[in-house]
Amino acid sequence: MSEMKDMIVDVVERMLKEKVDKDLVDTVEQGNWAPELWDLFKENGMTAVAITEENGGAGGDIEDLLNIVRLTGKYAAPIPFAETTFANYLLEFTSLQVIEDLATYMLCPNQAFTLENGKLTGEAIQIPWARHTKHLVTLAHSLEGTHLVEIDLSQAEIKHGTNLAGEPRDTAIFHHANVSQVSAVLSPDKMHAITTLNTAFQLALMTGAIDKINDLTVQYTKEREQFGRPIHRFQLVQQHIVHLAGETAIALAAFNNVTEALQMNKQNSEVAYARIRFEEIIQTVTTIAHQVHAAIGTTHEHSLHQFTRRLWSWRDEGASTSSWTNLVATQLLENSGDSLWGYLTSFSSSSPLLKVEG
Amino acid sequence: MFHLPTVQFTQEQEQFRLDVRTFLQDELAKGTFTSKCDSWLSGDDPEFSKLIGQKGWIGLTWPKKYGGQERSTIDRYILTEEFLAVGAPVAAHWFADRQTGPLLLRYGTEEQREYFLPKIVKGECYFGIGLSEPNSGSDLASVSTRAEKVEGGWLVNGQKIWTSNAHLCHYMVTLVRTSAFDGKNKHAGLSQLIVDLHAEGVTVVPIKFLTGEHHYNEVFFDNVFVPDNMVVGEIGNGWAQGLAELAFERSGPERILSTFPLIDELIQELKRQNNLEGLKQASKIVARLWSLRNLSIGVAQLLETGNSEDVSIPAALVKAFGTKFEQSIPEITRLIIQTYPTLDAHRKIDRFMAESILHAPGFTIRGGTSEVLYGVVAKGVIAQ
Repeated sequence: MSEMKDMIVDVVERMLKEKVDKDLVDTVEQGNWAPELWDLFKENGMTAVAITEENGGAGGDIEDLLNIVRLTGKYAAPIPFAETTFANYLLEFTSLQVIEDLATYMLCPNQAFTLENGKLTGEAIQIPWARHTKHLVTLAHSLEGTHLVEIDLSQAEIKHGTNLAGEPRDTAIFHHANVSQVSAVLSPDKMHAITTLNTAFQLALMTGAIDKINDLTVQYTKEREQFGRPIHRFQLVQQHIVHLAGETAIALAAFNNVTEALQMNKQNSEVAYARIRFEEIIQTVTTIAHQVHAAIGTTHEHSLHQFTRRLWSWRDEGASTSSWTNLVATQLLENSGDSLWGYLTSFSSSSPLLKVEG
Repeated sequence: MFHLPTVQFTQEQEQFRLDVRTFLQDELAKGTFTSKCDSWLSGDDPEFSKLIGQKGWIGLTWPKKYGGQERSTIDRYILTEEFLAVGAPVAAHWFADRQTGPLLLRYGTEEQREYFLPKIVKGECYFGIGLSEPNSGSDLASVSTRAEKVEGGWLVNGQKIWTSNAHLCHYMVTLVRTSAFDGKNKHAGLSQLIVDLHAEGVTVVPIKFLTGEHHYNEVFFDNVFVPDNMVVGEIGNGWAQGLAELAFERSGPERILSTFPLIDELIQELKRQNNLEGLKQASKIVARLWSLRNLSIGVAQLLETGNSEDVSIPAALVKAFGTKFEQSIPEITRLIIQTYPTLDAHRKIDRFMAESILHAPGFTIRGGTSEVLYGVVAKGVIAQ
């Protein structure tokens, strides 16, 4: 990132540090909305980062946006920032009009929504923040194929639901509802690119939460005393710290490599590798953090669970690890070159699965 | 947390990678060498080292006036990766290239540089690393080999152990005690001397590795005379000088790729069997390798641009995590695919399995045990 980019990240981090605390996350978890926090992000132009200027964007690129998303994950910011910005990113990616209001998205793994004569019918579960947002960006299936559509959520019947972390994950049911925008039929390449981008946004959120869990845990080992000394002085606790710090460093480095690859349009399979690796990282990091925090970390009073519960939820949302594993395995099988090393270090633009246009 | 830079290789660097790869594939096809796991420790072939020297691929980053190419740390990283990925026999010149050259460039005298570096670059002069002693293990401050000042030089008495390839090496950079042990300042009074391993009073005794191969040695010094011009850096500064090398020693691709030939052959076998299920399990290995490599390249980039003290902690982390990874490869492989590990097997995968299983216990020991590295990393993280 350039110096200016570092500055954006600093500003956002300061904003989050000041405005988001455990109480706010608790309040939103009980079904409330955080209007001040949302307005702050909106007024500062953060929701328009990485949208082109001709579409009313605020400049910045995908790397900037993903870093802001990472920070919202690090502070468990209880607003649909990733959802709104990703919905808009998708709209622009499929040559549709970006929107200004709160938005969310759902990339249904099965054909939940059908599109006939511009009318959408169907039911999808697990839509993030649907109750609080106005626009839904989703996939719909017509006789021609799969399209990206944007539809007004006020036409839907909404049933409330939450994930493990208490984040809104609602069901939306549409009956012959009018879509506002429809993309051309999406090619398999484009569909794959959309899934990849979605996973990159999820990786950003997860990286933030992992980073925070590491901070909380290391800090705790300095403060908590047992047998007359801070627990970080115990070698077995130190082993936990090393594994936690190591997995965190790996997550941060993986995230940075993913964003840079996306940024440079050199994306090959970085997102797939990272997503597969994050499965192990999340398991290790959440287990160690709770073990080190011991009893206090299992209480609602402590903030640790706001991050571990998020990771346990997020890892099951979006494209699954097994789908990424399958993809890498298929790629290895079909890889024409005869060495794994050649495949791993390939840099030619002909091999990538994804070419992000633009 | 550690903020390691990301690296995008340039077109020139990608081309360099392909050039090295093509050369190695050609030599492999000609039968110049046989691929081997853990080739940077156990693949010693002086003829191959000379060949590499002729290509200008030893001392790649060193100044041209000593025969180097003045290329970047990242270029060297690429070169090293290519050697290890194909399991090329680079052990003979490895330590001189990785450690002795940089040490002399940083602390050596002009005379020492002019004398040793051009020989190293040609692949004709090998160095051993004389650190460990019997009973010292990871506690290097307990070193007790002594050097006593005499007219025109130093008289060395004592013993080193676990010295890789000392039987092939011409010299050894030897950590010795040049003043009495001070319990309050254990790191004081240590110095680095270049000992000619063919000098009078030096005895090299092999210690066979558990495969029966000869890599390690004991080296005995009985009144060995080392002239004053073979002192590296300052007398008494040996500990600090030694520490400066560690980031280079610990974070390189050799801490991740020692068993790469086995991974590669596993994938080839699974492809030949059209075994998608096996490849799914193997994809986790690929993801782990990718994520560790990011970290290792990040450290290389820091070494290129920054202060080596800043990187000692992430370098220790790369070593601890990387060696655990390379150690896990035979264990994962045998659960994915049936093999019959034998050192003299005809089937490549069986031979790579045997080499990996038998060499793996050493990965997390040599260059600093994982336990010691955990201590370094934990202290660094706590201090942040």
